[in-house]
Amino acid sequence: MIDFTSTPIILTMMLGSVGVIIPVISVARKEKGSSLYGGIAFAALISAISFVGYQIVSKHVTPAAIFSKNVLVDDTFGSFFAIAMLIVAIMTTVGSFNYMRGKTSPAVYYSLILLSSIGMVLIAYSTDLVMLFVAWELMSIPTYVLAGFAKKDPSSNEAALKYFLFGALSSGIIIYGISIAYGITGSTNIGQVIAGFSKLGPDMTPLALLAVAMFIAGFGFKIGLVPFHMWLPDTYEGAPPTISALLAAGTKKAGFAAALRVIIMGAIALDLNWAFALAIIAIVTMTVGNLAAIMQKNLPRMLAYSSIGHAGYILIGLSIAPFSQIGIQASLFHILNHAVMKASAFIAVAGIITTLSVSHIDKIRGLGKRMPITSLGLVISLLALAGVPPLNGFWSKLMLFGAAINAGSVVSWAPYLAVAGVLNSALSLAYYGWIIRKMYFEEGESEKRVKEPKSVIAVMIFSIIFIVGIGVYPDPFIEFAKSAVPALTNVTTMH
Amino acid sequence: MAVGSFEFGLSANALNAWAVWILPFVAAVVIPGVAKFSKKATNGVAVAFALASAISATTLLPLALGNNEIHNQIPWISSIGLKAGVLADPLAALMSNVVAWVSFLIFVYSTGYMKGDKDITRFWFWMAFFVGSMQLIVLSDNFLQLFFGWEGVGLASYALVGFWYKDKKKDHVGIEGRRVLGLVDYYSPTHSGIKAFIMTKVGDIMMLAGMFLIFAFAGTFGFRELTENTAWATTMSAQHLLMPAAVLLFGGAIGKSAQFPLNEWLLEAMTGPTAVSALIHAATMVKAGVFLVARLAPLFFALAAIGINMDQFFEVVAWVGAITAFLLATQGMVHPEIKKVLAYSTGSQIGYMMMALGVAGLSRQFVDGYTAGFFHLISHAMFKASLFMAAGSLLHIVGSRFMTDMGGLRKYMKKTYAFMWAAGLGLMGAPFITTGFWSKDAIFAAVYESGNTWALPIFVLALITAVMTTFYTTRMIGMVFFGNKSKHVEEMEKEGYHIHEASPSMWIPYGILAVLTIGIGVVGLAFEHQIHDIFTEYLASAFGIKSDMANVAKESQSVLGGFLEGVNPVALVSSLSAFAIGFGLGYIFYIGKFVDSTKFVNSNIFFYAIHKFFLNRWYLNALIYWGFVVAPLYFARGVYRYFENIVIEGFNLVPEKTMAGGARIMQATQTGISQSYLYVFGAGILIVVLLLLI
Repeated sequence: MIDFTSTPIILTMMLGSVGVIIPVISVARKEKGSSLYGGIAFAALISAISFVGYQIVSKHVTPAAIFSKNVLVDDTFGSFFAIAMLIVAIMTTVGSFNYMRGKTSPAVYYSLILLSSIGMVLIAYSTDLVMLFVAWELMSIPTYVLAGFAKKDPSSNEAALKYFLFGALSSGIIIYGISIAYGITGSTNIGQVIAGFSKLGPDMTPLALLAVAMFIAGFGFKIGLVPFHMWLPDTYEGAPPTISALLAAGTKKAGFAAALRVIIMGAIALDLNWAFALAIIAIVTMTVGNLAAIMQKNLPRMLAYSSIGHAGYILIGLSIAPFSQIGIQASLFHILNHAVMKASAFIAVAGIITTLSVSHIDKIRGLGKRMPITSLGLVISLLALAGVPPLNGFWSKLMLFGAAINAGSVVSWAPYLAVAGVLNSALSLAYYGWIIRKMYFEEGESEKRVKEPKSVIAVMIFSIIFIVGIGVYPDPFIEFAKSAVPALTNVTTMH
Repeated sequence: MAVGSFEFGLSANALNAWAVWILPFVAAVVIPGVAKFSKKATNGVAVAFALASAISATTLLPLALGNNEIHNQIPWISSIGLKAGVLADPLAALMSNVVAWVSFLIFVYSTGYMKGDKDITRFWFWMAFFVGSMQLIVLSDNFLQLFFGWEGVGLASYALVGFWYKDKKKDHVGIEGRRVLGLVDYYSPTHSGIKAFIMTKVGDIMMLAGMFLIFAFAGTFGFRELTENTAWATTMSAQHLLMPAAVLLFGGAIGKSAQFPLNEWLLEAMTGPTAVSALIHAATMVKAGVFLVARLAPLFFALAAIGINMDQFFEVVAWVGAITAFLLATQGMVHPEIKKVLAYSTGSQIGYMMMALGVAGLSRQFVDGYTAGFFHLISHAMFKASLFMAAGSLLHIVGSRFMTDMGGLRKYMKKTYAFMWAAGLGLMGAPFITTGFWSKDAIFAAVYESGNTWALPIFVLALITAVMTTFYTTRMIGMVFFGNKSKHVEEMEKEGYHIHEASPSMWIPYGILAVLTIGIGVVGLAFEHQIHDIFTEYLASAFGIKSDMANVAKESQSVLGGFLEGVNPVALVSSLSAFAIGFGLGYIFYIGKFVDSTKFVNSNIFFYAIHKFFLNRWYLNALIYWGFVVAPLYFARGVYRYFENIVIEGFNLVPEKTMAGGARIMQATQTGISQSYLYVFGAGILIVVLLLLI
């Protein structure tokens, strides 16, 4: 039974039809020029995000729920992710206007972004494992193509190939996990799977455990959890920088949506000591990401490692979910913040790469004078990533670490997460500060101001307003994140 | 009594209270955009926004006069219970009007003063930001929000003091080549901006500590909440933490208001454009400290009702004020730079205000000192803004900051001459016709009647300061307008330059303020009574501080009766004689020129030594530099040479190498070979399974 008025269905139809039509137009249209397709994609995404916003404001979405009889549920959890993903998709689209100028087949490029964003949005709304997997593939496959979009560039090809290889592997692993889950519970509906898990006899438990491990590995690949992160720096570095923005800020967050829907709930039902496992992965992930980032000389690669580090921070909130009221809320808030901060950082870098064709950190000396707005946007994003007040990253990190300390009253290891997080944030300031220093405090080869791409400027202005605005007045978004937290008590009372 | 203690909706008045501080910020945001189209239009936009903000402030006045208040809050960060709000009680409403209207006039003046400056956009941005931050301080209903404004003011002052960042010679202050204790007494705009920023920051950090100390016990930053439930004070007092917290908060005021011992930044702040100096001195920066004390003093005083004695706090305030007043007045008598004289005078007059507020807390009649301090703030805002703008005109016309380069200008700049006299008389406290007289008299009376043990020494200090104030003001006017033309002016005329009056957009603003100084001065006593009445009711209703009516009855038996009802005879005679002595001396040396001042100073070693001592700023500035700049630099170099290089470099390799090594291992694992990646991936699944089994 499909409810044609529900948010995910209408979003799919809106974005899907536009995504299909764009390449058709390009066939019919003889003249070249990419701006038309970008404009159409932009309009579609803007109307999609306005629609989600309208649905939330008009209270058409149900409160956050994990379970539903249908394959999709129209709840605030999904809508929260939909907003975050669509913001990223919009930023990527606008940021690409300049990058795609003069490149081949722009229509396909924008169409793929739209299709991939349908996938991202649907993951967050899915309540059925098969639906989730279909959405997962819908999100992933366009990005394999996008990562290799610069087809004459060997490093872009390598990026796409590695990404595809790991994507295929992780898809296989997820499918394997789903099949085990189906095998022992007889259903693919997440609610029923979890209900089934909680009633398992001891002989079946190892299988369920294997399923959860498969999910962690499969989704962890996209999220960039250590040790499933190896492909990530190579891909982010080689892919077109605008696509790295989409990958780092968008698909990675979709991975978290899936993780929240499946792993956390499943693990709570299984009553495993999974929280501790996630905590260890969190600490390892953030430390590896930040340590490796210090040595990087290539901007996209440095940002790639930084996003691994941030996956660690976000995982803090997930790992303490059962012990602290605000754990998941903090994670969600940080997901939204990180989506904007990272997307804006990548698009700033994309702007730098396309105008000056440099990505090495030594080549951006004195950039503050040459590209003032892009540099300012990059600095604000980096400071927000480091968690400097009064920017948005500060509040979500504060909530994450606060939640970890709070959870210390239940489990003794939780405060160490906060300690690790604070130490890592300090560590991260080293390389963020390094970039800022190069841009502003070192003399460049030239001081001549270059023309900054208008589309990048637009993205920078948006993200500066967003980052500073939330930093000064975080309340509405904290409340929004709160409303998107699914009620965990439903799960725990089931067994 | 509260009109607006509602949590829902916005009445028109509440909206106006928000608008007062938001409008200048909007102006700051809009101005760079406007500049894209027309740089000239930024003048109009800035002035229009200042006017709109001032009009919004005026709408708050009727409420203030009726002792009502607007208190409107919106959720800020509800997860930790923080609210943002505006609190327009009589104190804030009066203050925001002073700030808004004086800044408006200064903005008008700036359109003339900054004409042709190519960085006009930056100028307006920071000016609007400055005024917005100040109004935020005034109208905040809690400490935290106030602190945002507080830091905004600090940031804007840094940017504006160092506005002429190219450090041209003409923009420096001090005398080139002069050295005090081996350090140059000659500062560039950028240096001065940083100096102002850092010195006020010392105070800010103290304030932050005090603020959070109180928050830790009270759980709120709100002024109203702190007043309504004083359990926090009892707890803090029992742990002996209340007094430190109060004094720490006052530390913030010391820094921002340039009080002793953090007074030295104020003089170098003269490197900014004169419009900025006027703003800093009359409306925004230094008044913020006084306002903070005025905000807090009744709160602390009212604690007496629950048996907590805050006398020590008020003694600190009173003494800091008295010492600053005296210290800076002595230096104002000898400096040759006109803006510096005015700067010394500001610090000194702010000292008066602090002294009055401090003394208020030490006397039974709290409201007397409180009114006196605030009245002086208002009258000072008017005459000091006027004097600064007039001085700016002089600098503009003559092209030199030294009074010795002026002289005999009264025939050429008749309007400026007249207005400077009017405003100058206000600063001197010329009897009966100036606001300055009445406000100073009120301070003397408050100190004299306080009945505190320290009343007499403070009173004497204040009196000597008044003599010096009159003297240096007379000296300034004498040096600028009387006597013969200086060599500098003669040279300028030889080169064909014609000394002329300033443009109307410049003289009208300071003219208005000068006229107001006299206009309000004529009815000064009635004006003072009006403020007194407002504050009596305000303090009684908001803080429960009752005034002693018997005392009022006693006052009415004063000698001159009728007209001078309520004036303390001792204070009156003292201020009259202070004016007479100061003005007389000033006249002898600088207007009549019966005695040559330079010869007089050099005539004997005692005068010479004192003159030099004052000119070298009591050596305080040099000592601060030696103690906090030069010595730490030497120390740091020593540490680097003998400790860092030898000890740390030796042992410190361990953590450094570990970090670098760790990072390199991470790098090494990233081989770029897909097979090894896949291997790690597979191993990872195993690890996860193992972790789940733990």
